[in-house]
Amino acid sequence: MSIPVTDIAFESSQVNGIGLHVLTTDKFKTTTMVVFIEQALSSENVTKTALLAHVLKRATARLPDSKQLREHLDFLYGAIFDVDVAKKGERQILQLYLEVPNEQYLSNETTLLEQAVQFLGDVLTRPYLEDGVFAEKYIQAEKESLRKRIESIIDDKMKYANQRITEEMFKGEPFSLLVHGQRADLPTITADRLYAYYRELLSHNPIHLFVVGDVDRGQIEQYLARHLQIERGEPAQLGPLAVQKTVSEVREVVDRLDVTQGKLNIGCRTQITYRDDDYPALVMTNGVLGGFPHSKLFINVREKASLAYYAVSRLESHKGVLMMMSGIDVANYEKAVSIMKEQLQMVRDGKISDMEMNQTRATVTNQYRELMDSARLMIDFTYNGLLSGRRRGLTELLEEIGQIGIEEIRRVADKVQIDTIYLLRDRKGGA
Amino acid sequence: MQTTRYEQVQEQIYSEKLPNGLSVYLLPKLGFSKTYAVFTTRYGSIDSHFRAGTEELHVPDGIAHFLEHKMFEKKDRDVFQDFSRNGASSNAFTSFNRTAYLFSSTTNVAENLQILLDFVQDPYFSDQSVEKEKGIIGQEIQMYDDNPDWKVYMNLLKAMYQKHPLRIEIAGTIQSISRITKETLYQCYETFYHPSNMLLFVVGAIDPDPIMQLIRDNQGRKQFPPTPRIERFFPDEPQEVGQKRVEHHLSVGLPKCLIGYKEIRLGLTGDELLKLELTTKLVLEILLGDSSRLYQQLYDSGLITETFDFDYSAETDYAYSLFGGDTPDPDRLVETITKEINILQQKGIPADDFERSKRKKMGQYLRALNSVEYIANQFTSYKFNGTDLFQVLPVLEAITLDEANQRLREHCQPQQLAVSVVRSASSEE
Repeated sequence: MSIPVTDIAFESSQVNGIGLHVLTTDKFKTTTMVVFIEQALSSENVTKTALLAHVLKRATARLPDSKQLREHLDFLYGAIFDVDVAKKGERQILQLYLEVPNEQYLSNETTLLEQAVQFLGDVLTRPYLEDGVFAEKYIQAEKESLRKRIESIIDDKMKYANQRITEEMFKGEPFSLLVHGQRADLPTITADRLYAYYRELLSHNPIHLFVVGDVDRGQIEQYLARHLQIERGEPAQLGPLAVQKTVSEVREVVDRLDVTQGKLNIGCRTQITYRDDDYPALVMTNGVLGGFPHSKLFINVREKASLAYYAVSRLESHKGVLMMMSGIDVANYEKAVSIMKEQLQMVRDGKISDMEMNQTRATVTNQYRELMDSARLMIDFTYNGLLSGRRRGLTELLEEIGQIGIEEIRRVADKVQIDTIYLLRDRKGGA
Repeated sequence: MQTTRYEQVQEQIYSEKLPNGLSVYLLPKLGFSKTYAVFTTRYGSIDSHFRAGTEELHVPDGIAHFLEHKMFEKKDRDVFQDFSRNGASSNAFTSFNRTAYLFSSTTNVAENLQILLDFVQDPYFSDQSVEKEKGIIGQEIQMYDDNPDWKVYMNLLKAMYQKHPLRIEIAGTIQSISRITKETLYQCYETFYHPSNMLLFVVGAIDPDPIMQLIRDNQGRKQFPPTPRIERFFPDEPQEVGQKRVEHHLSVGLPKCLIGYKEIRLGLTGDELLKLELTTKLVLEILLGDSSRLYQQLYDSGLITETFDFDYSAETDYAYSLFGGDTPDPDRLVETITKEINILQQKGIPADDFERSKRKKMGQYLRALNSVEYIANQFTSYKFNGTDLFQVLPVLEAITLDEANQRLREHCQPQQLAVSVVRSASSEE
């Protein structure tokens, strides 16, 4: 790729004990802010973190009921506000997201940005409390809605199959946990325990704030100094980001539900994560195998055998998982599995054409370059580097991608081991 | 080439109607890396009965979508490959009333644009490839059959519309697609893919002059028959909904309930249609938005979850609102909402709710303009209806409280209401 790429260049500093990362650009009509709070994924904390996200979202000291809080957001020209959790390797990330229009598109507006920072500060550091702890009514309501969220994972069969294979494949590892938590924990969480947990999380865990928009960094720092003050103690030591394990034998798991289409997942361990030198080669390997409509899985499972509408592979970069996925008629299970295995073997054997290499390199490069047009994607890219402990620039990553050859893909694909083959199928038919 | 400047949102559109009838719109976005292009025909799943030349045709359900799939396959190659060689990602989608082909890329935009124009204007269907596609689309249909959100939505439309082909699944059924042949595909293609029935929109990192020249040259090289007269036939749709309530069983955590009003006021185009759409969306925001009294009451009582959502779809010949999500008690949800609608219809909308919701809608609109995908798809859809995406802010600002109240009373009428529920079979609970 000869065309130069401007890098995703956040300017970083520390304010009140949190990492601040600002990217100034006039590309967007809004300003986007994301706060990430990092926590070790663990059976002990997973439900608390998820519940906390939703309790924080309900009310603040200044806006003590949800209706008022929501009205305030409307008043900030329909600011988009969300608090949620995400799983990245053996980490659970609590994320606060806020996006407000840039004042220049609105007549008579001058303080929208400061009001937005103030609101973020409110949510994070001045929550609504009763008797010094979170209000019981919000805890009860959010427990109930968290329970529903956990139960509704079954609605989307693709997600359900993904969660089920993750549970089976990573039994005994934190990564097996559902990011929304465990239903059984809900009754044990009380207002004072959740509040104590919140204090601990805020004072000890890594926190980063990203801002993208037509903003001035000095001004953001001032607003933060004014509105987001946290007492920060000794930093917590979080466990490793990825637990590695070698595969001794391939497991097969079948679940039954009332479905028409079977969901086939083949989970592989790669032993390679975002921080490894081999990561760019893994991205290319996944691209050749199943990342795109020109990839081996799409061509062979869908186009040649006509077995499926989708046949893809995806990476979880912090844990190092490669997941092949397809929706098939259960009668074609053996056939689909054997084609998918065969394709992985082709990659391992280096049976990759120049055309496949060129197309994959071009599309992977394009995908990364497209990040530049989305504030949220630029933030996620940069945070992934920070979280993994290896900050790669976009240019650096693209240069590496540019140099990966078949030999490296072959070497990397050799490390990719099938761990679990999972089928979600109908209730009819044989075992 | 015409230019239209939209001062408030700081955007500029370049447009031209080519001699063959194709409408082209270009929107340069300063500072963007990516270019997104979408080539759309006014032809969707509802166009299953029409006159082509002298012949009147009834074609199998799902054919517009089938055709969309088949356009990517040529005699010697797959078009996806042409795009990937250039680093572009390509895709297509079929809705009720249009079919769109698109790519996005950060390099080789000129070449990708040629590929887009050429593949959509060069059909190649064979008996063998048509048969093969039936397996793939069969799996797509089954995927939708297992999707409760899609099911609850389609069932609501089927309940509302008694005859209109909006009732038909976009992808058809396994049975209906089995009747599709390459001959019918060619007939549909020739009827609906004439440039005069299509629109090309390109947005992103582009220089408008050379891009427009490229498009002119590309189209100038090709021969098209004279502009055909497309005659589409739709059955007379009664004003009333067909069924008040439908229920379906699938594995779900909580029941899903979707409620909607079938629109009474039809036949609008242009600014009138845009105003109808924006006013109705504003009314729904006031009534059901997350800062409304009703939303808070429903959420606090556990009757709704975060999946609760609402929308309004406005076309000249059909329109409907819909709202709902996961709920433990569909009947009580319907009852609570309709009761509140009734109260608000009598009392009228409070002025500060109206102002606040208007502000929110303005912010949402500005935010949506960050997305080149949104701009391209929405601009096209509005253009087909004779309206303009960049008129949203002024039209929205001009809506009065009286108009909102009037719309609330007109649109939300009990006899226009339909309800669709998807829940697990009782044996599973």
